[in-house]
Parts: sequence; C-alpha cells; structure tokens
Amino acid sequence: MTPPTILLTTEATYPYAVGGVSSWCHLVVGGLPEFAWRVLPIHAGGRRPRPLFALPSHASLAGRIEVWSEQLPRRRWIRDRLHGGRPSLPAELARALIGWHADHEALVDALVWCRRHPGELRATFRSLRAWDAFVEGLRDALHADAPEAGPAPPLDAVDAATLYQRLYWVARVAAVATPRVDLLHVTAAGWAAIPALVHQRLHGTPLLLTEHGVYVREAYLAAARGRAPAADRFLASRLARGLSLATYAAADVISPVTAANAQWERKLGVAPERIRVIHNGIEPSEACSAPPGDRKVVSIGRIDPLKDVQTMLHVAAEVTRQVPDARFEYWGPPTNGQEAYARACEELRRRLALGERFRFMGSTPEPLEVMRGADVVLMTSISEGLPMAILEAMAQGRPVVATGVGGVPDVLRGCGVVVPSGDIARLATGVAMLLRNPSFAERLGRRAHERVRERYTQRHCIDGYRELLHELAGGAVAAA
Amino acid sequence: MSTDPLSDERAGGIVGARLGRPPQDLLEAAVVLEAWGGVRSQDALALEAALLPARVEPDAMPARWDVEEEEEGRESIVAEGIGLLVAIVAVATWAGPLSRQLGATTLEQALRVALPLTLGLQWTIRSRYLGRPSGLRCLAEERGRVLLVLCMLLLALALAPHVGVLAAVLVLIWVGGTLLARRGWGLVYAALVAGEAVALAHHVPAARSLVGLATLVFWACVAAVATAPGPAPTQAPGRLRRALAAGAIGTLLGFLLIGDHSLGWGVHGAFPGLALAPSVLGSLWGGYYLWQFHAAVPRGLRGVPLAQANAQIPGGPAMRILLGALARLVGVTTALSLLVLAAAPWTEGTDRPSLFIAFGAVALMCLFVSLHESLGFTRWALTVAAVSLAVELAIDRLVHVSTPGVALAGAGTIGALLALTPLIGQLRSPGRMLATALWIK
Repeated sequence: MTPPTILLTTEATYPYAVGGVSSWCHLVVGGLPEFAWRVLPIHAGGRRPRPLFALPSHASLAGRIEVWSEQLPRRRWIRDRLHGGRPSLPAELARALIGWHADHEALVDALVWCRRHPGELRATFRSLRAWDAFVEGLRDALHADAPEAGPAPPLDAVDAATLYQRLYWVARVAAVATPRVDLLHVTAAGWAAIPALVHQRLHGTPLLLTEHGVYVREAYLAAARGRAPAADRFLASRLARGLSLATYAAADVISPVTAANAQWERKLGVAPERIRVIHNGIEPSEACSAPPGDRKVVSIGRIDPLKDVQTMLHVAAEVTRQVPDARFEYWGPPTNGQEAYARACEELRRRLALGERFRFMGSTPEPLEVMRGADVVLMTSISEGLPMAILEAMAQGRPVVATGVGGVPDVLRGCGVVVPSGDIARLATGVAMLLRNPSFAERLGRRAHERVRERYTQRHCIDGYRELLHELAGGAVAAA
Repeated sequence: MSTDPLSDERAGGIVGARLGRPPQDLLEAAVVLEAWGGVRSQDALALEAALLPARVEPDAMPARWDVEEEEEGRESIVAEGIGLLVAIVAVATWAGPLSRQLGATTLEQALRVALPLTLGLQWTIRSRYLGRPSGLRCLAEERGRVLLVLCMLLLALALAPHVGVLAAVLVLIWVGGTLLARRGWGLVYAALVAGEAVALAHHVPAARSLVGLATLVFWACVAAVATAPGPAPTQAPGRLRRALAAGAIGTLLGFLLIGDHSLGWGVHGAFPGLALAPSVLGSLWGGYYLWQFHAAVPRGLRGVPLAQANAQIPGGPAMRILLGALARLVGVTTALSLLVLAAAPWTEGTDRPSLFIAFGAVALMCLFVSLHESLGFTRWALTVAAVSLAVELAIDRLVHVSTPGVALAGAGTIGALLALTPLIGQLRSPGRMLATALWIK
C-alpha cells in the first residue's frame, strides 16, 4: 500500500537553516517514516542555499520557492499572451491582506487565479491599470473603520510601491505548483501557508498548521522593536496578520507547540475545537548528573533582540556583584542580519566591565554537553514558543531561570524560576539564589528532569503527530 | 509573573513608555505588554480599544520632490573617465600603424566584426552582472561558466577566415576594458593600451604585440574579478534571458556603428575613432548620473501622499534625473567635439562636424535605450535598435551624399525619438513607474 503523502511547507527554516523549527521538522519527518514527506521550503532569493539537514529516505524536496529573486515563472507563450492578465489582482490582494476586515475567500480566489495563470503575473503587475486600481484598493483598505484597529499612518507613494512589490511576491509564491499529496502540513502561518492555501482550495486537501511562535505576534514584535518608519511597521505587520488570519480560517487543525500560543490563536478567531496542542519533545538523559558546582550560568540561543541578551548582561553584572565567582557563558551565533545587535551586546559587556565573567562562546554542536556543564540555565527572551534550550536544560536536570513568555511558564511549572521579561532585579535574584543554594538548585533540576520525562519526550511529540496526521490523512485518503 | 488586573490606563502607560508612541492597534499593544510589560497573554489580549489614539487625518505629509545627487563613488567616475579617454585616444592612434602593417581592408573588416560583438558582450555582462551593486562578486561566483562561454566564443571567432584572430583579440581587449573599468582599474587599462600605441608607433609587429596585450588584459581581468571587494553577494545574477536580450540590443547598436559605410573605420588613420571620444565620454557622465536612478527615484518620492501615487507630475524625480543625464551627455559631447575639431589640424582627418553629430545622436539613443532596458522594456529597446539599424541601412544604400555619417545621424535621431516618446510617458508619472517598472523585474 502506498503511504499517505504529506507536503511540509517551511519558511526560512528546514532544511536550509538551523534552529528550533528546523530541529522540530527533522524530528517529525524522521520520526514518522510511515508517511512519504515532500518538503517545500521558501527562502529568500540570492545564492542557492545549501541544505543543513539530510532528508531521510522517505522524504524529498518538492522544489523550493525563491522569494525576491528575478527568476520568472514558466510562461506559456500563446495562452499567456491571449489573456489580458487580471488588473484588479493587486487591489484584491491589498484589500484582503491589509484591510482589517479581510475577506479570506476573496483572497484564496485571487491566489488560485495566480496558480492558474503564472505566466500572466508579471504583465499584470507591470500594468498601469493594475497600479491605479491598487492605489484605490489600498486607500479603501486603510480607511475601513474598526475600533480595535486604530488609525493607519499616512502612507506615501514609496510605501505603496513597496507593498505592491510584496504582493507581487505573494502572487508569485501562490503560482508555484505543488505536488499531489494527501495532507498539507504548514509550519508557519505566513508565506509558507500560501502554496498550501491554493492547494487546499484546488484539491480539498486537509491542512494542518503547526505554530512554534505565533506568526502574527512575532511580526508585530519585530515591527515594535525595530526602528522602521510607521508605514513600514504598519504594512509589514498587517501583511503578516492578513496571511495568518487566512491560514487560520483555512486550517482544519492548528497544533501549537504550547498552550500559550493557543490563547493568541483563539483571540485571532480560531475555534477552540480546531486547536490541538502538541508539545515539542526531547530525549532526556536516563538519570540526571549532579551540577558541576562551578557557579557557571549558561544560556543557549541566537544573539538576537528577541533573546534580550542586553538584559542578560545586566543580570550578569548584578549577579556577579552578589556572587563574585559566578561565571556566565552565552552559546550561540548572531542571527543573520543582527550583527549590529551583537556588536552592541559586546560593547555593553565591555561597558559593564564583565570581562571573563561573561563570555560569548559562539555556536556549539553539543548543546546537551554545554547544558551538563551548567549550574544554572538562564533565559531572558521577550518572545518564545516552547524553547528547545529550556527543554535541553531540563533534560539534563539543570535548574532554569527564565522570563515568563510564550510557553515558558507552562513548561517550568513547579520546576523553575519564572519572572516577568525585562525584570533584571528578579532575574538576578533568581540566579543568585540558585547559585547560593546548590542543594535547592539540584532538587529543582531533578523535578525539571522528571517533568520532561513525563510530558516533553520526543516519543510524546511523535506520537501526538502520528495520531493527528493519520486522522487527517486517513480522512483525506478515505474521501478520495 | 504579574497577576494583577490591568487597567487600560496603566496598560496604555506601559505601551506608550516602551514604544514612545501610541500603538498602531490592539494587537501591537498586547504584544508589547506581554513581551516587555511582564503581562500574561490572556490579560494583554483582553485590552479595550480606549487604549488607541483617536483617528488622525491621513495624507498630512507634505509632498517633496527633491532629487539629492548621489555623491558616492564620485571619485571613481573621474578616474574612469580619464582612463576611458586615454584608452580611446590610444586605440585611435593604433589605426594608422595597424592599417599599414595589416592592410586597411583587413583592419576595417576586423573592426566591422569586433565592434558589434564587443557591444553585445558588454551589454550582456552588464545586464547579468556589472549593473548590480555586487556585480563583480556575482561574476566571480560564475567565473568558470563565463570563462568557458567567452573562450568558446572567441575561439569560434578566431577560426573565422582572414580577420578572425584580429577581431577576437580586439573583442577581448575591449570587453576586458569594461571589466577593468568596473573594478576601478580604468587607469591600469589605459596604461596598457597606451603602451600598445607606443609599441606600434615603434614598429613592433602588430600581431605579436596585440596578442601580448590581449593576454595581459585577460589576466588583469582574472585578477580584477578574483579580488573584487565587498561581502558575498546576496543577490543572484540577472536573468539569463534578459541578459541575452540585452546582448542582442548591444549587438544591434554595434551594427549601427558599422552600418554607415561613409565612416570608413580604420581606413583614414585616427578618423573616426577619435571622433567617438566626445560622445563616449558624454555617455559615460550621463550614464553615471543615470546610475542613481534606482535609488534616487524612491528617495525623491518619499513624502508624496498615497493620493498622488499615480498622479502625472512632469517635474518629478524620474524626469529630473533623465534631464540631468541628458544635459551632461549633450554638454560634454558638444564641448569635447568642439575641442577635437579645434585640434583637427594635428589629428588625422577628424575635421568633419557631421561625424560628431552622428556619434552624438547615437549616444543619445543609447542612453534612452539603456534606460528602457533597465526598466524592463526590453522588447521596445530591441525594436528601437532594430528600426534604427534599418533606417541607417536604408539611408546608406538609397541616399547618396558625400557628407560622412549622415546615415548614422539619421538612424540615431530616429532611434532617440522613438525611444524618448514612451519614456516621457513613463517618467512623468514617477509613482507608477517605480511600482510597475522599476520594482517589478
């Protein structure tokens, strides 16, 4: 019997980038060989990316979608010239994606047209009629009244042209052909969902969305912490919101990795019965070793504003005032594009005169080894889903002090120290308290280890997806 | 974690303090409260709309049409210009010794083959690589493939009877010049071709010295590409199809330069090679000014309200840049043409004003055609080049006048007019042009 086929769409992650989402993809794809997996990655155009994960034998790439490149979709010379394009397309996309009260059906209709007429997209978007209609459509979308929306910032011609170009890319992504599959598994409610939305409408295939972070929340967060002008922030976050809401509306099941994400999803209109939380998983050590007693505080994560490394530096300064022989190690490289932030962190480290007491260690291929060398694990993020770094610490029986963002309070319930994000004093107090009370820290670590074994193992994670995927794909196969 | 109920007032205070501005909507307020305010997501998401500011009047920003000239790289244009001038003068001085050593007919035929091919290759390479900010690095990444294609092309050319080797050597030397100029080594290139001029003047055998020069230029190009500065390119090279179309445009323009038989390439000493110098330098400056088009148009459109995004504004930034480029091209070409004409008694035969007019008209047409090509109107650019060539051939064969360059001048003028008319239509509505042409590749 042919195994059910699943199309896994990813955005800037698997198999071309390392990180939590990629590790999760690799775990799920590798752990479920009873399915045939087709992976469709979306990545920024430019140089041909190199896969960082070797796909297992039951998985293969279903092509790749390059965004922002100059390559054009295949054109049918006669048919595409006979049609006149669809000058209303950019305006329809603007209304459906930027307007506060979006019409998801109209959006998917427009995206389906893109799939059926890939060769007409360039001509459509280069047409003056399309631009004129788009400007009108955008003005309509901006002036739609909604009390919770707030006033739109004034946009200028360049903002409009920027959005127009992004919508062209939305259309281009929608136009990419997808293989015949039994189930669509989308890993982010943004660009990765576009091909799946079209496929679902064309073939009635069930769609599963797994959200690690909440896409729209992360887009708003990126906009809020950046220094971009109001119009840029507005358009980027509205576009993410439009894509997310359309994905939520279309998904048969949404499986966030933590219940904290589910709160956002419900607030954004997802019916509770369509949400099924499946936690990330990790393989815990059989027995947890005793902490080394070196008063070493460890963090693993990218150097990124979302990790709030600067708060961690301030915490380190405060802790080393209270516990002078405490040492901090930060493992992880800067995120691509956040090199300036990494430099600012290094500068702050110098300004705080932390010296050898806080060291940036770079990447590590052995995160579990690093965790085993820690007395306390610290995380100061301002946004998380269900962070693998915390699970890794718990799996090695190490006590964790973390900010209570995303799924962190849930996972650390009763076995870690959770404080509000950005609260340097409380974070420092938590770390210092654990360093000064090694026996309490060890007890906390053991409880964490037990909790991981009970709730957050890879087997739990894989079993959860196995059941859900069989349920969805089985239904689809039976219907076919 | 804070579990106190959150009043809208307090929430508004936290959000305002963090953002330094009101939130754009309730979602942003919730995100900020959760990330930086230590507020649980369910509390953050339960906020009321009272937190948001009242609706403000949009379109309050003033319209602004300033085109600030790009200062970056200004020094390199001077070096490039000097390099090009020296190179043209030097190459022009080759004509006499080469026709004496190799025969006027051989040289003329070689030039007729080499010029179109050189322009075709230059346009191709520019479209795919050099017209991009990290173009040389892109070229470096594909060096193996490019080298293979170039070698095969030159080898095929060299195998052509009579003039093949000479044409291949000239193509290599001239195309190499483009690469070296882009790398900022224009003066090195000028020194190489000037050295060749000195060698030829001292009766060094032409074939041997030209091959030597071509070898030097080739290795200089290899070094230029291998040592291209800058970070690894984030942009892919341009589309192959578009690059090939650009190559076809360049080839047609090359045929245009040789289609007028009255020019007598290579037969009459430095004439008309030297006459080309003013328009080439004018094109260089005009083209350099036009280079900022992609950055300056959006900069000039900043602050123009959405309501005017599709309005026709003849004095807009795109039109200003075109006029600026035009003024530079015409000004430099005219001034230098007068200078070369004044120096006619000391040069060989560069005393016919019609020739300068012809080259000026072609330079004008090339400027417009290259703008069409860079805006993605490749088919129109091809059409203009093809129609101009047809006009030139028709005049050359049907109209018999003794003045040199009449056919070329007619073709250049027709081509310039054909290219300019739709350009004006496009550029007078800069918002439309930016969105539909400049940013939709």
